[in-house]
Amino acid sequence: MTPTPAPLPVLVLLCCLLYTAAAARLRHRGDRWPLRRDAGLWLGGGLLVAAFAVPWESWLPPFTAHMAAHLTAGMAAPIPVVLSRPVTLALRVLPLPARRALVSLTRSRLVTALLYPPVAAALDIGGLWLLHRAPLPPSLHHSPLLLLHLFLAGTLFTFALLAVDPVRHRPGLAVRAGTLLAAAAAHAVLAKSLWATGPPGTAFTPADLRLASQLMYYGGDAVEIALALLLASQWYRAQGRSLRSHRGTRQPAPA
Amino acid sequence: MSYRRSLTGGALSGLGIAAFVDETVFHQLLHWHHFYDRSTPDVGLVSDGLFHAGGWLAMVAGLFLYADLRRRGGPLRPAWWSGVCLGIGGFQLYDGTVQHKLLRLHQIRYDVDPRPYDWTWNVIAVLFLLAGLLLWHRARRAVRERSR
Repeated sequence: MTPTPAPLPVLVLLCCLLYTAAAARLRHRGDRWPLRRDAGLWLGGGLLVAAFAVPWESWLPPFTAHMAAHLTAGMAAPIPVVLSRPVTLALRVLPLPARRALVSLTRSRLVTALLYPPVAAALDIGGLWLLHRAPLPPSLHHSPLLLLHLFLAGTLFTFALLAVDPVRHRPGLAVRAGTLLAAAAAHAVLAKSLWATGPPGTAFTPADLRLASQLMYYGGDAVEIALALLLASQWYRAQGRSLRSHRGTRQPAPA
Repeated sequence: MSYRRSLTGGALSGLGIAAFVDETVFHQLLHWHHFYDRSTPDVGLVSDGLFHAGGWLAMVAGLFLYADLRRRGGPLRPAWWSGVCLGIGGFQLYDGTVQHKLLRLHQIRYDVDPRPYDWTWNVIAVLFLLAGLLLWHRARRAVRERSR
């Protein structure tokens, strides 16, 4: 199994504590900051540490164990982290010069381009295809940095897709839903192709490949359905807001 | 207001229902379909991936559209059900012709003669499409009468 780098749990814990301290400061000065956001960051951090620390290999065959860790770090952990709105929190608590720097960073061309959902999806899913289909050195598959990379790529994708934190330009629902569809399809295709052929240079048993393939296929579904539900509820709430603001002023629409 | 949204919402729900039934009944419960048939070509995998992902995405979108239409006093029932039938029939006909036969993704059932299964599958799909068209006609008539 991938060895857990010792600083990782400490780093995650520090981030969580820093977040909670910042949120507490906000609440102390009278701002509203729901506790579920704090809970989201702790949950995401916990999932990330679990991806490293759970002894997947003692329960699952080797490739399936890798897959379970990948799903946890790259797909499950980013959702609660993104929903905890770390950028919004930072913008509220940082002193003015640091806040200005953060604003100009989030509005920079590079960040804007990275956060365009199709770009973020191409980086995330493209990396996944490279990982499973390109002839990479075998040592890379066991590097602890790989899981961290998967987490960061997954977080970029989720951040761009859900767009709950303020960024320069929030693309419309069609772009984001279309990106989710394309990314989910590319994920399903890769998962299904692993049923028959493992990553080049590896020799996992067919039974292991098939189990991992189905874990990736159906596990991916679960996470992607969660993302779809989040997107749809954003749309539903926005529709509700415009309905309320129009109600009373608008004539009953002709059918 | 709700004619087009009812039709769209119904169609998305129908697509989602058909994909869901296909996945649970034929793949998971009966084990007639195969998760991966080694003879599947790459383009078949892409089509399958798109429809697999699109199926549940359509279901989520359909449910939220339904909730929104309810909030607005809808949906327009014939338009909604027309959409559902068109969505189910359209998915099933595509699955039964393009995916099973043309792309040879997998067969409906293995170790038997697949022809009766293919015919049943596609005839049911056409019946759904016909019902959808009939309901569509009624929905349009209802809308025209209301606007008069």
